[in-house]
Formats: sequence, structure tokens, C-alpha cells
Amino acid sequence: MEESHAEHGPHVISNKVLNQTFVLLIILMLLTIIAARAPIDGPKYLPGMVDFFKKWEYAWPVTNLIALGIAVIKAVNVIQYFMGVKYASNLSKVYAVGGFVGFTLLFILFWDYAGRAWEPVRGWEKVPSTALPRDFDNDGGVPYKQYPGNEKAHESKSEH
Amino acid sequence: MSSHQQVLDPDAPVVYEQYEDIEQQQETYIVGMWAFLVTEVMMFGALFLVYSLYRWNFKGEFFIFHEELSWQLGGLNTMNLLLSSFWMAKAVQAAQLKNIKKQMKFLTGTVICAIGFLVIKAMEWIPKFEHHLVPNNSFIWPPAHPHGSGGGSPEHARVFYSLYFIMTGLHGLHVIIGIIAISILMFMTKVKAKVITDYIPTEMVGLYWHFVDLVWIFLYPLFYLIPK
Repeated sequence: MEESHAEHGPHVISNKVLNQTFVLLIILMLLTIIAARAPIDGPKYLPGMVDFFKKWEYAWPVTNLIALGIAVIKAVNVIQYFMGVKYASNLSKVYAVGGFVGFTLLFILFWDYAGRAWEPVRGWEKVPSTALPRDFDNDGGVPYKQYPGNEKAHESKSEH
Repeated sequence: MSSHQQVLDPDAPVVYEQYEDIEQQQETYIVGMWAFLVTEVMMFGALFLVYSLYRWNFKGEFFIFHEELSWQLGGLNTMNLLLSSFWMAKAVQAAQLKNIKKQMKFLTGTVICAIGFLVIKAMEWIPKFEHHLVPNNSFIWPPAHPHGSGGGSPEHARVFYSLYFIMTGLHGLHVIIGIIAISILMFMTKVKAKVITDYIPTEMVGLYWHFVDLVWIFLYPLFYLIPK
């Protein structure tokens, strides 16, 4: 069935492939739930393993990656088998991949956010903010150096 | 060439004159649908980007805010959409094999799952209005009877619930449009409308429906399963 690329007519995806994909999707969904809920519900049901679940809490970057990794595997399976991209023409594949490449490129913006302090916005910070340009330091406003990452900039400014 | 083919098989779909053959014509439909889905990916993409930025900045707090959402109901809805997507794929397969009866059966199943999704969604949304968790003037954080610790900054909680309502709301709108599209497809298949000559209309609606499922596959872990 897999290789029955007939000269005419579309590629019919077999029942076997569809069923396997569905079962895989359900298993992956259960895995995500278990991975995310284990440190929260785990100690309730397995009180003897509290220390183990405590360690799990520190691994939040890993658990985030597990959750997203599983979501990506699920998405690839839906695209390949349910949407039939695996058996589609090359032009369709370019479009199917292109959207997600564009989506990934959006995250280049993180480069900017990682490289400097979060912008202060009036009414949004725990300390009152002036929401003025970074180098502005007026009386009654928040001292500029209170924002994390700005201490150095403040020191160099005050030298003048 | 097209007229020649029609003489051979009176039931074969018409090949319009700008196309070489039926395969090329059908490929353009699928490529066109994917081009539309690319625009959809970018629309949701912007929202996912905003979500990621705030999640990154308010790391620990997002866990506290998400405790008010029910991961059980969300999981039930994930199951619902996966099943509906599976039935949709079966419906496309039945349409390719020209088994109209089977096709209608699977499309009905898909619509029932989609309506079930909306019912469960309403069960989640309506109590949020009563608990003042909708980010309008009545928004109150922490809630009177929090499921979790109820901590964190109220402004940041508002961001979380704005993102939650916008993203699941836009997704819900897509589910409603999907139900309408599948119902129209079923009606036209039933009355044997002239525009439906082959499996392509089912395939188009199917691609859209799988996309709706794809969005939920990411929304579920991002909103309902935030790791501690």
C-alpha cells in the first residue's frame, strides 16, 4: 500500500498508517501530561518519593523542552500522515515547511530581549515607573539603576 | 487533452484548460490551501511569540496563574480534537475511494467532536466570568477561592489571562468556522452539488481542520501543563 504510487489518482493513505498515527498521538499526549503533572501530583500519590519529585522541580527547563518536544513530534505526525504531506508533491512540501520556517524566524526577536533589560512601563512594575527613555533620570522618578541590568550604565553615566 | 479524458471517463473531474492534466490541477488546489495555512501559521505565530516573551519574563508566576485552569478539561479537549482529526483523515480517505456513505459517517463524527470541543470550552470559560478572571474591568487577582496558591502580581495575571482568552478564543473561532465548513461540505456532498467532482473539497476542508488540531497541540501544553 505504501509504495502503490499509481499513475493516476491520489495517494490513498492506508488504514494501518492512519490508525498507527492516531495511537501514537494519544500516547504522546498522555506522556506530556505525565511529564508536566508528575512534580505536582506525584508527591500526593507516591509520598515516599518526595525527594525525587523535588529534584524534578529544579529541572523546569528540561520539562519545558520535553513538553514542547512532544508537541513538535505530534505536529510533525499530523502534518505528515493526517495532512498527507509525506505523499504530496515537492511544491506542496515547500509550502508546508515554509510556514513553520517563517514561524521559527519570528523568535530571532529573543536575541534582542536577551541582550538588554526589560523595558520599564508605567504602572506595570512593582516600583513606580516613569516609562521614560532609559537615559532619563528625573527627580521623583524611579532611580534608573533600580532596573536589573542597568546598574553599570548608571555608574558610567554618573561619572560625567 | 482534457476533452479526450472526459470521453474516456464521464465521471472524471473536468481538467480546466490552463492545466496539463488532473494531477497538476489538483496540486494547485493543495498548494493554494497550504499558502493560506502559511498565513494562518503567521497569525497564530505572532501570538505564540508574545506568549513566549511574557512566559520567559514572568517564569514562576505563569505557573501560579495556570493553576486556575483545568488540565483535565483541556486534556479531554485534546483527545476530542485528535479523534476528530483522525476521523477527518478517514473521511478524506473514503472520499478518495469514492465511498460517499463512509465519508459522511466520518464527517458526522468530526462535527460531533468539534461541537463537543466547544461545549467543554464553554464549561471552562463561563466559570471564569463568575470568578472575575476575564481581563476586563471586573478582573480580580487573586481569585476569592484560588485552586492554587493565588500569588503573583495582579498585572502579570492579567497578561496571562489576556493571552489565554485571545489565543483560545481565536482557536475557538477557527473551530466554529471549521464546523460551518464541514457542514456545508456534507450538505453539498449529500445533494450531489456540481462543484464537488472528486475528493479535493474534502481534502481542502481536511487540511484546514488538521491545522486547527495543530494549533491546539501547542496551546494545550503551553497553557494547561506549565511545569512547576
